[in-house]
Parts: sequence; C-alpha cells; structure tokens
Amino acid sequence: MSTLNFQYQAFGFNLASDILLPELSEKLLIANEQNSISVVSGNYGNWPSIKASPHSTQCLQLAANEWRLALESIGWFRAVAGESLEYQRWDDSVSNRDLRTFLVTSGLGALAIQRACLVLHGTALERNGEAVLLLGRPATGKSTLSWCLQQHGWQLVSSEIVVVDKNMKIWPGIQQLKLWHDAAVALDLDWQHLPSVRRGLKRYALLGDQLNCLESAAPLRCIYQLMRERQQSKSEADVLAASIKSAQAFSQQHALLVLRNNAFHARVVRGMECEQQLFMQASALARSVPFYSLRVPDGIRAMKNACAMVDLLDPASIQEPNIEEVNKGESDA
Amino acid sequence: MLEQNHGYWYLASYPKSGNTWCRVFITELLRLAGEGYAEELNLNNDIETGAIASSRLWLDDQLGLNSCDLSFSELDPLRGSAGQTAWLFAEGERFHKVHDAFKSPDSRNRPVVSTAGCLGAVYIMRHPEDVAVSLSHFFSWPLERCVQFLLDPTAALVPSERVGGHQVRQHMGRWDQHVCSWVDQRQLPVLIIRYEDMLCNGSTTFAKLADFLCLPVEQVLVDQAIANTSIDKLKQLEEKVGGFAEKPEGCNRFFRSGRSGEGAEQLSIPQRQQLAAEMADVIKRFGYERVEGDV
Repeated sequence: MSTLNFQYQAFGFNLASDILLPELSEKLLIANEQNSISVVSGNYGNWPSIKASPHSTQCLQLAANEWRLALESIGWFRAVAGESLEYQRWDDSVSNRDLRTFLVTSGLGALAIQRACLVLHGTALERNGEAVLLLGRPATGKSTLSWCLQQHGWQLVSSEIVVVDKNMKIWPGIQQLKLWHDAAVALDLDWQHLPSVRRGLKRYALLGDQLNCLESAAPLRCIYQLMRERQQSKSEADVLAASIKSAQAFSQQHALLVLRNNAFHARVVRGMECEQQLFMQASALARSVPFYSLRVPDGIRAMKNACAMVDLLDPASIQEPNIEEVNKGESDA
Repeated sequence: MLEQNHGYWYLASYPKSGNTWCRVFITELLRLAGEGYAEELNLNNDIETGAIASSRLWLDDQLGLNSCDLSFSELDPLRGSAGQTAWLFAEGERFHKVHDAFKSPDSRNRPVVSTAGCLGAVYIMRHPEDVAVSLSHFFSWPLERCVQFLLDPTAALVPSERVGGHQVRQHMGRWDQHVCSWVDQRQLPVLIIRYEDMLCNGSTTFAKLADFLCLPVEQVLVDQAIANTSIDKLKQLEEKVGGFAEKPEGCNRFFRSGRSGEGAEQLSIPQRQQLAAEMADVIKRFGYERVEGDV
C-alpha cells in the first residue's frame, strides 16, 4: 500500500498523493482527511474490464466515471469516479516528472469532469481580485502571454486546464507555465537553468516558486479567445510597436460554441457521458460572463511590449472601433 | 470500432505537388453532385475535406493529451493510433491530407498515420524540379536551398523541437524516399497520380481519382469540376477571399502558376543534374526523365 505523504489543493479539491506534484499548491498534512482524492501507484493489470464508449481510441479508454490513458513507453493512467487517480510507470526508466506531466493535466482534468466541473482548456490570471480566462488552440501563446502579464502584476490562477464553478469563480489549479525554447530566449529567461518539462524536450517549466500564484478562488471578469495576429509591416519598429486588441463581445450563441470547442478534451467529455453537463455549464457561463476575441502580436517581444499598455479587466479600453460604426459616423458627418 | 462504410482516405504528397488542387476538386465535385451546400466555392470556408493528419488539435483530441509534452520519438509511434474514430465527429470529412512520409525514423517502423479503417491513399506526385520551384515561392527560399531540401534525408515540416505550432513535426526525408514510402507500402491500397497527368490528361486522371475515392463518377460532373478548379479559376477565387488561408507569411499567393516544366527553365544545369543523378531510380520509374537530353 502506498503512503500518501503529499497533500495538495487543486480546483477546490484536496488531494493526497504518493508522488510529489510541485505543479499544485501544497496543503498542510492532515491525517486521514476525508473526501480527499487519492493519487496512487497501481497495477493496470488488476484494473477491471470496462465496456468502452465508442468515443474511445487506442490510447484512451472511456466510460461513465472511468478514464484510462495508455501511453507507450511512459505508463498507464486511470481516473475513477472523481475519487482516485492511479498510475503505473512503463518501466524504471520513466521518471516521476514524466508521470506528473500526464497526471496533473490529462488525469486531473478527467477527474474534475467526473466531479461534474466545467473544465476548459486555457489559462486563468487574476489582478485586483478579478480573474480573466484566456482560451485558444494549442500553441497560440497562452503561456507566453501569461508570463508577460505576470510582469505587470497579474497572478496565475491555473494553466492548461481551468475549472469554473457554478458561481463563475475560477479555482487555483495547475500552477506551472510551460514555455518553448524560442519564447524563453525572446523573453530573456535564463533557460539554461530552467528545468525541462520532460527530459529531452526543449520546453521549460516555470513552477510556483518562480511565479506569482493565487491561492484562493477569484470571480471571473471576462473570457478572451486568443488569436495571434501576423504583422503585415516588415519594419522592425512597427512589429515591436504592435498592440493587443479585442473586438466586440461575442453573442451568447457564439460564446457557447467557442466554450464547447475549448472544453478540456471534448472526446473525454463525450466518452464519460458528460456532454449534457458540459452544455448546461457552458450555457450558464456564456450567459453570465462577457466573451471577447483577443488579438495579440505574433512576435514574442512585441507581445511582451504590448502587455504594458493593456488592462484586460477593462475590455472596452482595448476594443477596436466597430468598423461599420466608424464608417457610419464618417458618412453622417 | 469503425465500420468500413465510414472509412476514410489519405491524400498523400510531398508538399507543393497538387494536394490542395485535389482537395478543391473533391469539394467542387461533391458540390456539383449536390452533396455540398455553397452556391460558389469559397476557398477559405469550403475546403474542409478532413483534418490534416499532422493537426495538433486533432491529435490531442485523439490521444487525450497535450502532444507538446511528447518528444518526436514518443509522438510518432503513437500517431498511428489516432484517426480510427474520426468519423464520429466529422462525418463527410473523410479525405485527410498528409505530407509525412508513411513512416518516420522515430516511428518504430510503424506508419505515422492510422491504417485501421482507412480505405486507401491517393499519392500525388510531381516532377521534383517543379516541386523545387514551387517550394521556393511558397517558403520564400532560394532555389538552391529547395534542391538541397529535396535531397535531405532528414527533411521535415515544422522540424524544430524548440517551438510549438498548430501542426506537429512531419518527417518527409528525400523526395524519392517520400515517394517510395507511400507507393511501396502494402498496408493501404494506393492510387498513384502524377501532377503532370492532372494537367495534361485531367479528364481521365480525375475520373480515376473519383472512382478510387467512391465519389460521383459521371464524366460530365468530373469535367465540370476540373473546369471550375482550373488554375486561373483558383487564382480568381483566391483573390476573391483576399488570400488563401493556407498561404504562409511572405508568400504572395498560394495559387501561382500551376505549370509543369518551370524547374527545367529555372534550375541551373548542375542543380538539375544533381537531382537526376541522386534520385535516378525513382525519376526513371515514374517517367520523369527529361526527354530533351538537356541534362
């Protein structure tokens, strides 16, 4: 039997783990605490057979309250009924860092869905007691922008996966930013002394002690869908002077569509029969919180410069004028 | 898990060999046959024949993880297990573009694309000299760099481990290795079509393509689809949408000339000789020797 030596909090849950998870916020050890999620090593050979959902793939086995991930050369992972997260390493060459990478993202995300949470693929930051949520496709620059915003007083609430509760609050979750080598260099970080996300990857992990992280839930002020904007101008000065802009708020219908598309692994939601739950939660969020697109410069240095001049808590201050209204105003004049 | 009648195909090619033309043709043929919706083809909205096999978003959904957290040597062996259930969410989008070679040095001798449930692959091939010229315009590279790229056994798209991106690394290897990886594999039925035949003998070539892909084969529809997707028409359509979405930064227009024989005009004699000498077997096998005896 594993010893659950480590205790954490994430997404409002308590976790008791037999493996160190520095990506999560530590919690004081309380013996035999009830209702904790256990994160423990297991033996996948003993896991009972399941009737897999047709949404399952070779890597992912899904059923109601059951999520299993099999990663060749890394290990096997299982989340059950929102109560436990089990893992087995492929062989002794697999490090704890390898396991953690998938436990705290895919595993914890699946577990939160099983606990009836709205789980989105994004990054949340807080300032002055309010949070903003950045959504976007993989590699759109959510982590890079988050690091830049940290230099201007923002605190990280959660990265990669974000849980929004029914009161529209965001809970501290994964407190780690992962930056690609090009971003680390462009941001003048001492990348040679940063740990890799995993051995051999040119992608670095910035953990809680290198970040400003929020320790309590924060109300969600607004949501941005992040888009990188290619600069038409070739002038270096113009490129560096590019700004961050938002557009008019999305309609609720469009916001709902974007939220559904940014659900943390739509396939997992469907495979665990939680699609109705997602629809209800995303609808409520689309009704309650304004949603904008956010166009950020493609260049990392330009993005860093632009962060000094925007207040994401005040979307109106960074909105581009509505072209139709400008044209109308001009013709009226 | 996957029934045959919900199967899918690959449209495989080395880049700049006519893959997009095939996808536009398929879209237009389906539209003419009444299976599409748009009144006129919109290049940026309607060419949704299926996700590219290297789409990170698609792979992340299939694998249930963030593929940025995997090295090339971990991801490539897994990629073959993605795709089997794509039809569940993308019915109708069954023609997946792929630029990867069938296997990569990291894929442990497995295909980097799923073969389960796949009904076949169309391999679209173009003379390597013309590919070099087209690559040069597309990537804004000098011709010499493009020639060396075609001869590079490690050539890949999105090759860097230092940056993320919407697509994962796609190993291609040398042009002749890429060709052989697809046409000589035995796991999928394959239809080989040459870009030059699409140009010069379009009616027959596209009819074969339609037949292989179980698309409408009425010759009148095929011919009309060819006419509606001629290079001049595609240039007009690109202008209409203010630039094709798949055009990279720095590239003036995606649909440029479409001609065959530009390589012979623009490459130097030593460059042409190098391509011909180093890839002689495949060039001969697919009838790409220049007949003028000028190399």
